[in-house]
Amino acid sequence: MAQQMKKSIHLKINNQSHELSVEPNQVLLDLLRDELGLIGTKGGCYLGDCGSCTVIMDGRPVNSCLVLAVQADGKEICTVEGLERGGELSTIQKAFMEKGAVQCGFCTPGILLSAKSLLDQNPSPSVAEIKMAISGNLCRCTGYQKIIEAIQTASKVQNRPDKQEP
Amino acid sequence: MADLGEGVKPLAGGTDLIVNMRKGTISPDNVISLAKIERLSIMDCSNGLLRIGACRRVSELLQSDEVAASFQALCQGANSFGSPLIRNLATIGGNLVSARPAADLPPPLMAYGASALLKNTSREREVSLKEFFRGPGLTAMKPDEILTEISIKKPPPNSGAGYIKLSVRNAMDISIVSVAAFLTLDDKYEIIQSARVVLGAVAPTPMRAFQAEKLLIGEKAGEALFKRVGEAASKECRPIDNFRGSAEYRRAMVAVLTQRTLFMAFKKAWRNK
Repeated sequence: MAQQMKKSIHLKINNQSHELSVEPNQVLLDLLRDELGLIGTKGGCYLGDCGSCTVIMDGRPVNSCLVLAVQADGKEICTVEGLERGGELSTIQKAFMEKGAVQCGFCTPGILLSAKSLLDQNPSPSVAEIKMAISGNLCRCTGYQKIIEAIQTASKVQNRPDKQEP
Repeated sequence: MADLGEGVKPLAGGTDLIVNMRKGTISPDNVISLAKIERLSIMDCSNGLLRIGACRRVSELLQSDEVAASFQALCQGANSFGSPLIRNLATIGGNLVSARPAADLPPPLMAYGASALLKNTSREREVSLKEFFRGPGLTAMKPDEILTEISIKKPPPNSGAGYIKLSVRNAMDISIVSVAAFLTLDDKYEIIQSARVVLGAVAPTPMRAFQAEKLLIGEKAGEALFKRVGEAASKECRPIDNFRGSAEYRRAMVAVLTQRTLFMAFKKAWRNK
């Protein structure tokens, strides 16, 4: 007797509160894209393998295709749309542009969020730590080298005393 | 859960259940989230016992000072698990009840002699992990039970453990072979007093290599002994051929990894001296 009753959830997405009514079998990824129009988050494999759907949930990067929307009740979510500050791209986004770390761009939102989460916890990561942090995000253009360089650049810029981001 | 019967699945991290539901390999009538049961999120290390709630995330094992200090092989298992994204969702309990032969947490947990606490509406029972796994996807759990916590006795200072996973990629990969080893030495840090060797991905369940373990007890720790023990473990395992590796290759790697993990365990014990 599978019941399909909508559930009410309350969550914060990119610092904005939302009161939503969701299907119990809807995943967070589909909620973001289909209901809220936040299409920066990409759906790739829907199996937790590719990382293109990465969002930050309560400070930790996760595959939004594996989180039911109802499980996100009470959580704080950050998507790629939440990275900009006052209409300007974040330091990490600028570093990706500067270093040519974006090829087709499909993996980029996910990698930006894995990178943000890394730099939030570890402002000066080693190359090994950067590789580990993005190991759940596949780039099939095989552009990892530029991505690693971009994250290193972002780390250096963020660590400059005049460039402390909130 | 007891009322809903067979067609119900508990949901913890979702990295296995949601994937299998999407693939259509399982279609439960009801899914029940365990997220709000506080008891399933305990993490306590007092009176010489580490208790980890079944719903603790794999990444939380890596953030725990107690786990880092006393359960190095468990950290190594957690570190080779999926990717950081998966580790932030997947739970320790989920990795046990899914009972995959190549799972990353069972070998180190079994090496430390961990047990699982199972509970239904009326009673609770403790099952050693060595009796918990019954086959691929099969465990000693009854349909009305859930896994509530994992408990491990804190090993004595003159002991150490190590875990190695062999896979093609460093992340998001399934083991070809994995081995965990645990040793307790005597007060002089020479003679082996107790030992556990656990092999992953080479049998229908993670398995203890009992014959190999026997060779270690009462012997002086050293490279020649560890090599012999590796060969014994290699004879004891029951691997299959598949696209990840041939049975012959797996056997050969069991010998190498057993030797290396024993050496890791020995070195770790020595560092505590």
